[in-house]
Amino acid sequence: MATQLNAPESLVEDYRHGFHDSEAGYAFKSDKGLTREIVERISEMKNEPAWMRAFRLKALETFRSKPMPDWGDTERLNEINFDDIRYFVKASEGTERSWDDVPDDIKRTFDRLGIPEAERKFLSGVSAQYESEVVYHSVREDLAKDGVIFCDMDTALREHPEIVEKYLATVIPVADNKFAALNSAVWSGGSFVYVPPGVEVKSPLQAYFRINTENMGQFERTLIIADKGSKVHYIEGCTAPQFSTASLHSAVVELIAMEGASIRYTTIQNWYRNIFNLVTKRALAYKNATVEWVDGNIGSRLTMKYPSIYLMGEGARGEILSMAFAGEGQHQDAGAKIIHAAPNTTSVVTNKSVSAHGGKTTYRGLVEIFPGAVGAKTRVKCDALIMDEKSSSDTKPTMKINEQRSTVEHEASVSKIGEEQLFYAMSRGLSEADATAMIVNGFFDFFVKELPMEYAVELNRLVKLEMEGAVG
Amino acid sequence: MSIPAAKLSEVPAGTTKRVVVAGKAVLLCNVGGNVYGIEDLCTHDGGALDQGELEGTRIMCPRHGAFFDVTTGAALTPPAVMPVGTFVVRVEGDDIFVEG
Repeated sequence: MATQLNAPESLVEDYRHGFHDSEAGYAFKSDKGLTREIVERISEMKNEPAWMRAFRLKALETFRSKPMPDWGDTERLNEINFDDIRYFVKASEGTERSWDDVPDDIKRTFDRLGIPEAERKFLSGVSAQYESEVVYHSVREDLAKDGVIFCDMDTALREHPEIVEKYLATVIPVADNKFAALNSAVWSGGSFVYVPPGVEVKSPLQAYFRINTENMGQFERTLIIADKGSKVHYIEGCTAPQFSTASLHSAVVELIAMEGASIRYTTIQNWYRNIFNLVTKRALAYKNATVEWVDGNIGSRLTMKYPSIYLMGEGARGEILSMAFAGEGQHQDAGAKIIHAAPNTTSVVTNKSVSAHGGKTTYRGLVEIFPGAVGAKTRVKCDALIMDEKSSSDTKPTMKINEQRSTVEHEASVSKIGEEQLFYAMSRGLSEADATAMIVNGFFDFFVKELPMEYAVELNRLVKLEMEGAVG
Repeated sequence: MSIPAAKLSEVPAGTTKRVVVAGKAVLLCNVGGNVYGIEDLCTHDGGALDQGELEGTRIMCPRHGAFFDVTTGAALTPPAVMPVGTFVVRVEGDDIFVEG
């Protein structure tokens, strides 16, 4: 049986991405449930090489052999019924390079989400994934001339098999965890980026992920390789319609920043509140490289996501900025992992969360400094704001420091919005809702100011919506 | 000092065998007829590697999938970062010796 989740009406009204398109005319929709035949069919439909088929089938065995996690929100996790999910849904026949060629229904969806407009305004390239596959893709010509590769993973496997085979699953091995194994078995879509040595991609690349089918699983796979001295910023956003039954999103994202390279990966996760969002994200940063995860979580029923950075070479730098908002029926279990495996590596983790209307936030983090990482420096700051008595927040930081010649700072706070703050703002003429939204937006300001303007405006709008009637 | 650890016939090509030598857990790995010895310890979580799969010169940790090179001990993929220790292994006839 599917999990029945009844979203409160107020939330249904507020979620403006909750519209649903007709599924008539879809190219393929797998039966529910995960079988060897479905995995083979996915591979066959994509016309994949034998090694990828073997990779998928082995991953399926790994997925089956691994137990569900026995930590985190196990009660919600165990609501997932793997037999009630469609693992592959193909809405159209191919990936288009012109909006005009995208099927009308899908085009209207992305128009409503503002994707073509954003592309015109400030992006270097766009990838739009609808259900299991990418339906539209474009990259600016000058970048392609510089040797930048930005395509969906299926295309990368066809056109650049040697790079994919060399790097895929080298950052997140198949058996890393149950959901990485699931993704490896049924992955479809996602982005592949390769930036050649010394090339700077000046404006962001963006991918947009949309689930439209009820009881569907979306399992995109993203691999970004920034070669020596290169620089790239990648942004992803995601939404889904309002359904009464749950869907599953389980992505794997691998980043490799070679010597002196820089990768920033920004996520605005705004899934509808019945999506299980179980994602593995990990980066390797070699000598003097920089990796930044900018990770915003607003939607989903349960998110479990801990972007990590392995600082592998001397002078590598990692930063994880994350924000989470949990409203009614939501649990944002998010965090960060930083591994210092080389000398003079530095890291900063800043996490802020707000829980309201009975929502729950958890910060789960790890900082590990290995012997020999002399001069490593790390600073972790996590702040939680609890809006009412029904809501809650947990902070679970772990620190394993095995190098004495290193510097570690950790700071955590849990607070409520102060009566005095509210009174002060309201005495200046703001309503209680506006005053609350202003204070919460200020709380998230560290995150919002890192976003391109269009995303910052949207995030502030969402936070304001969530804050209506939030003070308890 | 060479310490008898196992019989070569007990570790066919492509397989591993856990032995204890001078109080240390050693994983013998037969790669195409050449036997290598590594610490039977995943440097990520401290658990044993002996139930892991040997693929060529790589062994996979059965819990989180990290790969190690059994010829050098190097950690090849996260979540492991640090290498595992290695042992000098000698084969004479059907006898495998580990230098203790």
